[in-house]
Amino acid sequence: MTFIPKGIVMGVLCLFLMGLPVSLRAETPGQEDVQEMMTLLRENNSKLSGDLRRIQREIAALRADLDKPGMKDVFAGIGYIFGLFGAAAFVAARRRE
Amino acid sequence: MHISDGVLPLSVTIGGYAAGAVLTAWSARRTRSQDLPKVAVVTAAFFVASLVHIPFGPTSAHLLLPGLAGALLGPVAFLAIGLGLLLQSLLFQFGGLTALGANSLMMGLPAMVCGWFFQTFKGRTSFRQAIVGGLSGAFGTILAAVILAVLLVTGGEDFFGVAKIALAAHVPVIIIEGIVSAFTIGFLFRVKPALLEPSFVKPVKSVHV
Repeated sequence: MTFIPKGIVMGVLCLFLMGLPVSLRAETPGQEDVQEMMTLLRENNSKLSGDLRRIQREIAALRADLDKPGMKDVFAGIGYIFGLFGAAAFVAARRRE
Repeated sequence: MHISDGVLPLSVTIGGYAAGAVLTAWSARRTRSQDLPKVAVVTAAFFVASLVHIPFGPTSAHLLLPGLAGALLGPVAFLAIGLGLLLQSLLFQFGGLTALGANSLMMGLPAMVCGWFFQTFKGRTSFRQAIVGGLSGAFGTILAAVILAVLLVTGGEDFFGVAKIALAAHVPVIIIEGIVSAFTIGFLFRVKPALLEPSFVKPVKSVHV
């Protein structure tokens, strides 16, 4: 229960600190600088989100690929088959002697 | 065309395993030892053929080859298909392990029927053998779809609905499989006709496996 007043105090402090740069910014940099920065930021943001989407798609494709049986499984299976039949042939040959 | 885990009721699962085990043992008993390499090669081909995907509209279906295996091996095909399906379900996660018995019945019975069909009607000319082989390849897939529907009925599905869907989804597979089987058998007839002789012995005298 003692946390609530503490939280309120922190919130007020944060608000004050956030308000400070706004007032500073309004004074010092020019309007066009802010505009430029905003466009730069926006460009950067869109580029990053595009990259992120591409990477997510790649991860999904990789996961789908992982579910598919690969070359390793194919050769493992063929090896099993030939090995089992080889063992069977061995037993058959021994029994015939 | 594989049945997954938990689709079939328990009685059908156990019955499928029992029937599959009996048929596998029966076909293994009747394999001649000199035919083992041929059985191994057909098993490997059957195992790998399931990875050949045929794109068809939004979905894709893969080759099954029960007809070709049956035509080449006759009743011994059941052993080949059982082993191939076991390894497919272990390595490729095609079909569940618990449904393995039912799956082997679904693929093995058409193979045996196709083997009988091919050996009965194959004739002596290369052309006729290729045609009969292609027909048995196509027929094997159709029969597998029908058996799939029969098995799924026990899971509470509607027979004609399932059969229609299974057949419709496999129309391209049926056609392609017929063509593949026809070409394979035509080719084998030219280069190694001995492979097309029935590898099945009635008397149990020369049995070793």
